[in-house]
Amino acid sequence: MDYKDYIKWERMPTTWCPGCAIGTIFKQTAFALADLGLPAEELTVVSGIGCSGRAAGYFNVDSVHATHGRAIPVAEGIKRANPRLKVIVFSGDGDLVGIGGNHLLHAGRRDIDLAVICVNNGIYGMTGGQMAPTTPAGEKTLTSPHGSAYAPLNIQGIITSNRRHWFARASTFHVAHLQRVIREAVERPGFAFVEVMAFCIENFGRRLGFKSGHEMLTTLKTGYKLRPGTEGLLGDGELGVVKHDS
Amino acid sequence: MKSLIMGNEAVACGALKAGMTFFAAYPITPASEIMHELADREPEIAFVHAEDEIASIHMAIGASLAGRKAMTSTSGPGMSLKQEGIGLAHMMEVPLVVVDVQRVGPSTGMPTLPAQGDILQAAHGSHGDYLPIVLSPASVEECYRYTIEAFNAAEESRSPVILLLDGYLAHLQETVDLDAIPVAVRPRTLAPLGQGRRHFTGLLAKDGVPRTKDTAYYREWYAGMKARMLEAAAHYRFYDYQKNPSSDTLIVAFGITHRVVSHLRESYSLFKPVRMFPVLEDELRAAAAEHAKIVVVEMNDGQYRGEIQKILRREVLGVSVLGGTISLKEIREQLRGL
Ligand SMILES: Cc1ncc(C[n+]2csc(CCOP(=O)(O)OP(=O)(O)O)c2C)c(N)n1
Ligand SMILES: [Mg+2]
Repeated sequence: MDYKDYIKWERMPTTWCPGCAIGTIFKQTAFALADLGLPAEELTVVSGIGCSGRAAGYFNVDSVHATHGRAIPVAEGIKRANPRLKVIVFSGDGDLVGIGGNHLLHAGRRDIDLAVICVNNGIYGMTGGQMAPTTPAGEKTLTSPHGSAYAPLNIQGIITSNRRHWFARASTFHVAHLQRVIREAVERPGFAFVEVMAFCIENFGRRLGFKSGHEMLTTLKTGYKLRPGTEGLLGDGELGVVKHDS
Repeated sequence: MKSLIMGNEAVACGALKAGMTFFAAYPITPASEIMHELADREPEIAFVHAEDEIASIHMAIGASLAGRKAMTSTSGPGMSLKQEGIGLAHMMEVPLVVVDVQRVGPSTGMPTLPAQGDILQAAHGSHGDYLPIVLSPASVEECYRYTIEAFNAAEESRSPVILLLDGYLAHLQETVDLDAIPVAVRPRTLAPLGQGRRHFTGLLAKDGVPRTKDTAYYREWYAGMKARMLEAAAHYRFYDYQKNPSSDTLIVAFGITHRVVSHLRESYSLFKPVRMFPVLEDELRAAAAEHAKIVVVEMNDGQYRGEIQKILRREVLGVSVLGGTISLKEIREQLRGL
């Protein structure tokens, strides 16, 4: 299989801004699917609402673009109805962790077999740049004009609070690792969550003084390093996998 | 074989008869018996006690897209939460059945006394324009029959069909022989997920491609959707009309209120709509034309009366049975006072 088979080329160009991080994650997902050789007949991609949520429509497989925050329950319904399908959720941080947070808690607890790819750009991108649950403390957004007063939500903590768990943190700079963990997440039976550290240049970065998407990308290069192995929780600046299988 | 069963159990049995193989819900009185009845039937059906009503309807949507006949059930507080999914299912053309066993609201209200206060919510609860099919049974036998018909209508209209019960009917126990009720079952029509290239979206879309700024296409799409819904609904014209030639008054009542006012058939004509929406315009107009007075008796403050008045374009009187208690004596007195 070629990664090109997984993309609806007639839908290009995407809705994403020049310099946006989502395209990288989309493409690495296509690479991972091609690597696994999954035929379209065995695949479904589900998204919620947001810039990231537009991804479902660009995959060349049967796909569902649900309401805001509900990608996981739609995906769970699909998986339970037809366990032979590989079901991938591709959506944003606001969607999966904010409005959809309750579903994340419970689907994780039920360990339902889904691969969830979460674009963590730290912001509500599509609606113009409001504070997300993932916005770093102190960062200014449209709804935190004096800087966010709160620490970002600890997604790793939520996922790993389930006895059996699989959590990965990746970044749009470290693409080989990103592709590898997406592949692992799709292969793993049970709930697998990939938090992809990303960025949004137009509705977040520019307000913080970044000149280009590339400039934001370099913060991922300097801010994160790969941690080998799967033992213990990842530190703030670490990328890698945390898992417990029994 | 005859057996003593309650309205909620009859709904569960009807769903199984209709070929439902996916059910997700969140507990709430007076709807929970539907869940209880279906909880222990795996692998025959997939059953999920979900984290909330929003999750359960979205799971049902996913399961329906993946090829299964699906249902969810709740009461008013949960019905409010399900509205988001109902809108999505209308936009994505997903067949499914949503059962709302009504209780007194707003909010937690009078748990868990019965009501019929979700009539307008059933018709218009989600945002935007859409035309749902809403059925309201009035006996345990009808709970069974019209659950099956709700699944049939969902398949035919490719939409979420709402089955409205009330707390009385849900818990009413009657002796019925469900096997002796012949109802045809429509097969599944939607090809399940896994065909390759389709995109289901809550956005306005044509052939899976969003057309979010295209006013002309919206109008074309809406007209098509309306025609599809009305055409499908035309095959589900369920009602009962008992004319009393010596009465100049027609009572319109549904669900448990119809059961109660049916004792007045010696004094009044009775019209029982089962298909609440789209409103049975022709049938109601014909029945109304034969009467000087029209009175809607319902357990809310005139929700359905407003709908009927809109259609008949003449004055329609109402008896509002409020606060969860229904009494024939009280209704009779109010009717006399009109
Ligand atoms: C119920 C509901 N509330 C609010 C919105 C508006 N809305 C659309 S996208 C979005 C935020 C998306 O943020 P995120 O998931 O992080 O995606 P991003 O655009 O950053 O990729 C919001 C609040 C909506 N569509 N539906
Ligand atoms: Mg975001």
